[in-house]
Amino acid sequence: MQSESRVDPKIIEEILKFSKNVIEAPKLVSAPDEISLEVTPHDVVQEIDKTRLLHYRAQTDKQHKTPLLISYALINRYHILDIHPQKSWVRNLLEQGFDVYMLDWGTPSNIDKYLDFDDYVNGYLDSCVEYVKNESSSEQVSLQGYCTGATLATVYASLHRENVRNFIATAPVIDGWRDTTVISNLAKHVDVDKMVRIIGNMPPEFMYYCFSVLKPFEQGIEKYVNFFKNIDNPKFVDNFLRVEKWLSDTPPIPGELFKQWIKDIYQENLLIQNRMGVGGSHVDLKKIDMPIFTQVAVGDHLVSPECSMPLHYAVGSQDKTLRVYPTGHVGMIASSLSQKKVLPELGQWLAERSN
Amino acid sequence: MAAQTPNNVTDYYKHLSLFWTDIIHLMASKPQALTSIGPMRAFTANSKRISTEMVEINEKLLDFNKYLTEYYKQLSETWTDAQKKVNLKAPKVPQDVEQIDAFKRIWIDIFDNDFTELFDSKKFGENYGKLVSKELELTKHWSNIANVILQSVNLPSKEEIDEVYKEVHSLKKRVTKLELELKKRGKRVAK
Repeated sequence: MQSESRVDPKIIEEILKFSKNVIEAPKLVSAPDEISLEVTPHDVVQEIDKTRLLHYRAQTDKQHKTPLLISYALINRYHILDIHPQKSWVRNLLEQGFDVYMLDWGTPSNIDKYLDFDDYVNGYLDSCVEYVKNESSSEQVSLQGYCTGATLATVYASLHRENVRNFIATAPVIDGWRDTTVISNLAKHVDVDKMVRIIGNMPPEFMYYCFSVLKPFEQGIEKYVNFFKNIDNPKFVDNFLRVEKWLSDTPPIPGELFKQWIKDIYQENLLIQNRMGVGGSHVDLKKIDMPIFTQVAVGDHLVSPECSMPLHYAVGSQDKTLRVYPTGHVGMIASSLSQKKVLPELGQWLAERSN
Repeated sequence: MAAQTPNNVTDYYKHLSLFWTDIIHLMASKPQALTSIGPMRAFTANSKRISTEMVEINEKLLDFNKYLTEYYKQLSETWTDAQKKVNLKAPKVPQDVEQIDAFKRIWIDIFDNDFTELFDSKKFGENYGKLVSKELELTKHWSNIANVILQSVNLPSKEEIDEVYKEVHSLKKRVTKLELELKKRGKRVAK
């Protein structure tokens, strides 16, 4: 007797459609290299070493008095905060009447291997704050930090509180021992002294390795299957390619800064214990006494909420707000949810404290 | 003087290699000094270092391979376990047009969960740390070999360049401090 196996014709149809999409993709879609990630018009108003201070052009007639300086992360580049006209963090804030500056850390090279927390916080970040204060004739700035940039901003807010009127910490890396992500597991076991001594700066390849262990099958297979399935949806494709291009470009991190980062935050967890030292000064989170708005995402697999939230409880501020959003690390800053929920809440909070 | 008894095969070959490298180096030193001119002078003087580095690279490679094998063993065991879980669930997927998507979802969820559990485990973290450490040691030996070649053509070694970087960094810091001090003084005078 012959066995008979039947395949649903719709399955065949699906497979054929998917194959057609793969073949037609190059005709329908731009190559990532052809896409520009510069979205909102801005001017480079200050350059120190490799760092640049960007000033976004106003989009409203009237602006809030206190300017906002964003300290972007050390991983990947600032473009994610202005990734797409409809999902731009920066543009949304401009439309809400804020005067927005962004600190781009640039691309460190071998000569920068001795740059450390002190250089980044008391050097680059401080000089940007001073520039923004002078330019806007304001005595203080609102400071926002994202991810590792929020950690630098936290240290700054503790050491230079006189310059910070409002502090916004978006997915900050604070309590390394509570971090439940696989990144923290790797960070805890790496001999960072040896790495910096032998290769200098933290190479981007190490960061790409870390990305590859985050949901490897969802991110490595499912994501691309969805891309080809949706190849005739221009909005989806445009957004996908922009985020992919952003993900594939991360600069090295200066060796000394990386060493202090891994040891003080992930291995010895000094920051949350108020035992960290930067440039000869003691970083005490209780000294952060300005209004603070902490934003965390429950689905964040790069910086877990358990790692970020302790900041809210550790600072000395009386006026403090903690918001937890049902999204991920990138979803919190570059998604429909960020436009509809995260940014309006932040804008309202900041507007009340910016005039 | 009697040679020390080597502990194992690797030590024996290391000793053997160093013995002959040293003896040949000593025996050849006179003719070498007479004939080596220009860039080859520095290279011949340091060539012994290259053979020492090569012997040590071989030693480190043994350790590196040990941790690399463990790394792939962990990945492959996790893959096998995850696939077994998928096989148990697969027959329960309804036979309809959604079948492929449903199966893919199950496969991805199980594999992501199991691999995340692995990457999050102490045993993976420890082995990964050791693997990276050995990889760095190999890099260090390559760098030492490159330094011998660089010095033979009077180019600075990595350590020498690092010293310059350090000096530049320290000078920059001092200049920034002085500039700040000048600014403060300027403000005081203006007042």
